[in-house]
Amino acid sequence: MEWITDKWDIVVQLYPFLLKGLWLTFQISIIAILIGSTIGFVLGVAKTTGFRLLNGVINLYLHLLRGSPYLVQLYIVYFVLPATGIAWLSFDSYMAAIVSLSLYTSSYVTEIVAAAINAVPKGQAEAARSVGMTRAQTYRHIVVPQALKLTIPPMASIYVIVIKSTAVLSVIGISELTRQGEVAIMRMPGDIMFIYSLIAVFYFIYCYPMLRLSKWAEGRFGTTGGGDT
Amino acid sequence: MNWLQDYFNLRLVSEYADVFAEGIWQTLWISAVCLALSLIFGTLLALARMSKNPLLWRPVAGYIQFIRATPLLVQIYLVYYGLPTIMPSGMLFDEVQSGIIALTLHTSPYMGEIIRAGIGSVARGQIEGALSVGMTPRQTMRHITLPQAIANVMPPLLGQTAVLIKDTSLLSIIAVFELLGAGLLMFSETVVATESYVTVAICYLAIYAMMLVLSGIVQNRLGGSAWQAN
Repeated sequence: MEWITDKWDIVVQLYPFLLKGLWLTFQISIIAILIGSTIGFVLGVAKTTGFRLLNGVINLYLHLLRGSPYLVQLYIVYFVLPATGIAWLSFDSYMAAIVSLSLYTSSYVTEIVAAAINAVPKGQAEAARSVGMTRAQTYRHIVVPQALKLTIPPMASIYVIVIKSTAVLSVIGISELTRQGEVAIMRMPGDIMFIYSLIAVFYFIYCYPMLRLSKWAEGRFGTTGGGDT
Repeated sequence: MNWLQDYFNLRLVSEYADVFAEGIWQTLWISAVCLALSLIFGTLLALARMSKNPLLWRPVAGYIQFIRATPLLVQIYLVYYGLPTIMPSGMLFDEVQSGIIALTLHTSPYMGEIIRAGIGSVARGQIEGALSVGMTPRQTMRHITLPQAIANVMPPLLGQTAVLIKDTSLLSIIAVFELLGAGLLMFSETVVATESYVTVAICYLAIYAMMLVLSGIVQNRLGGSAWQAN
């Protein structure tokens, strides 16, 4: 009994700080998702247009982002880009976080959008062209709307990856959820296991509905791969 | 080549060549150990998850959801900082051991879910055939179902292995010396960010390129059903 009241006191004391951290985690993840999805959407559509050079450049971009760990990308954006001496590349920690996370998100979204566009049956585009639509109109009115529906299930699981990646931002001193937890542990060093579990629960509350959404959407809209990594 | 020297001092990097080589070696062996452990543990999770006994599959499903919905970094902290506080004194893990435990606990559910999908992809007739020639369910699983399941899901298993290798970089935060740790060491001694971190990125990209080549070789060797889907 005493154990429960003890731990409950910790929860009551800490939850305003953890909630503040969760709020920042939420903000950063939403911004990164919005920017990253926009870049990813543009690159994904561009990747399916069939220009060899453009395709090569986009593939190089994808390999660079998928082939290195996010933490390394964060260090490069935060430490290396300012070292180039170009003024607008000198990010503060928030800008570095958002820039690196957006780029990281865009690599996943690009592949999903390209896969979804390729999954739309060829007959759809051929029919649109044969009734006199231009290539651009076919994309805009026929292919892309159908493809977007296919992107929903994999996109939800990518967003979970992005949310989880924000935990890494604590290493450059952004006071998101994990960082708030570390600060809380400095104040109460006796309850490390409990406080980290509490943080895990906060992340779970944010991520689990997204995982369910992905699962539900898979049944509803079908799957194009991409998926959870 | 002088202009390059201004941006990327190769001489400085070459002074740290053996540090980076050691870092690559650490990253590779830690990844290999975690891969082996998480394949074994993941297979067990997949089998438990498919059991009809709710006392078995429900906790396993809960564990899988917990791992998937929380960040790896928090899991590493739980193992490295949290575990010693609740364990009997004297049972302490060092950074590398904690890192391997955390990464294995993290990767196993992903491997398990892939293997479970693989088991589901094995044709029903294969299992019925094995049972009808007198194999026990255990023998069928071991000799008929699992080998085909693993061959079918080689592409996602290799993809998850690439993720695992990248995930080892987080161990540098709990002071494990691996590839990123080598970069951090160089940065702390020389204070040149570009050479330190870009070199790390190039090394990771080299490992990733080797994974792509390996994946191509495996693709040629066994043409499982998942290959045709892609």
